[in-house]
Amino acid sequence: MTHRALSIRRYLPDQDQASYWQRYEVPADDSTSLLDALHYVKEELDSTLSYRWSCRMAICGSCGVMVNGIPRLGCKTFLRDLPHELRIEPLAHFPVARDLIVDMDVFLDHLAAVKPYLIEDAAVGTFDPAAPTPHRQTPAQLARYRQFANCINCGLCYSACPQFGLNPEFLGPGALALAHRYNLDSRDSGKQARMPVLNRHEGVWSCTFVGFCSQVCPKHVDPAAAVNQGKVEAAKHTLIALFKG
Amino acid sequence: MSQPRPSSRQAFDEPLWWLLFSAGGVCFAVLLPATILFFGVLAPLGLLPSNAITAERMTALVFSLPDLAAIGALICLPLFHAAHRCRHGLLDLRLGNDGINKWFMYGLAALLSFAALSLVALGLWR
Amino acid sequence: MNRPPDAFPRLPRSWWLKHRYFKAYMLREATVLPLIFFLLCLMGGLWALYRGEEAWAAWLVFMRSPLVVALNLLALAASLYHAATFFVLFPRVMPLRLGRRAIAPQAIVAGQWVGVMIIGLLFFWLFGRT
Repeated sequence: MTHRALSIRRYLPDQDQASYWQRYEVPADDSTSLLDALHYVKEELDSTLSYRWSCRMAICGSCGVMVNGIPRLGCKTFLRDLPHELRIEPLAHFPVARDLIVDMDVFLDHLAAVKPYLIEDAAVGTFDPAAPTPHRQTPAQLARYRQFANCINCGLCYSACPQFGLNPEFLGPGALALAHRYNLDSRDSGKQARMPVLNRHEGVWSCTFVGFCSQVCPKHVDPAAAVNQGKVEAAKHTLIALFKG
Repeated sequence: MSQPRPSSRQAFDEPLWWLLFSAGGVCFAVLLPATILFFGVLAPLGLLPSNAITAERMTALVFSLPDLAAIGALICLPLFHAAHRCRHGLLDLRLGNDGINKWFMYGLAALLSFAALSLVALGLWR
Repeated sequence: MNRPPDAFPRLPRSWWLKHRYFKAYMLREATVLPLIFFLLCLMGGLWALYRGEEAWAAWLVFMRSPLVVALNLLALAASLYHAATFFVLFPRVMPLRLGRRAIAPQAIVAGQWVGVMIIGLLFFWLFGRT
């Protein structure tokens, strides 16, 4: 068991308008995750520290923080893999609410804008247990969107994206990847409703394929690929719109 | 929290710029290395056979119908590729106004492309 | 909610200097600068060729000046760096399938490098032989 130093960017709006760095010493061994270290600070050293967490297993997507300038999930990041000096900050490009907690409303607004759910053409009838009508999908149809369906909405890609940092109106990698995921789904017919949202300057066209979003994604969704496949779709959408007049 | 309603204006011009950018990117990557190697490096260093790029031979080669397509791939499309990256580079560096940068960059690329194609066409016609 | 005054702090102009990954991105974007120089050289060559033999000879002399050669060597390096970064993006933007099977991204990348070689051979066939 060794000791590691952790510098955390604190922000307590009820006490001070400015943020400041605070240093803590935490015990660590090979199995200590960053989230474990934050727990240690909260429970043993300083109960005023605020941060989000829930599942501890990289599925809830709530413990994202900046580690030495790179967005990571606290639970999926182990101190053994990190340089000795650690600087922990709230996720970049979002307004900070308190300590390591950011206000993700922008992301949620962008997400809602792309309608990330199955949309059916036909009106959904009442469920008849005697004659259920299943949505059939072949493994090949599933394979088309599967990679993009692994998103856990953690927002790391937004903190990795300089285009979102430069312009928060940009829909951003996560929302665009999910839009693409539903556009690719054989059971969905909502593409018509999504394309006008994507084909805006603040939609797919703000992306310059920096690609860092895909590097930091803890679920290997490759949002950069999804966004740029979305550009191909937006180009098709434009051609169709031009011919229809 | 209430965000200002996002603009719903469709970016109908962006697909054109992006397709030109992508096509130009392919040309820059596949065709330009050899072009730069032969005309920017080997020829000036005198490493090509002496009769390879004489004015007579080059005139016959360049002022020909297939060369219109070659100039499109070697000059025009890479110009639009460069214009697109310059425009986004200015956005990345927060320089200028994108509405103006955009038309300046693509306008310049279009103008230079027109000049290059016109030269070939004029040479062909002569 | 108590909102700090800088709710959405805009990125400083120097954002790309903060991380290795962003520097590589900016380098990729900057490959077009030497490209523009070479394209202007090429257009100068076209103009010279149009004007005649003397102008063409003068253009060849211009291309021989050390600064121009150095910039074009830079352009050659830039074109190869651009190729290396651009080729890997292709299979991600347009995943190709052959019938029901997806083509491996590595095969698409390799195919594009083969394209570079073929163009090189074509130029050798056109200008490299006596």
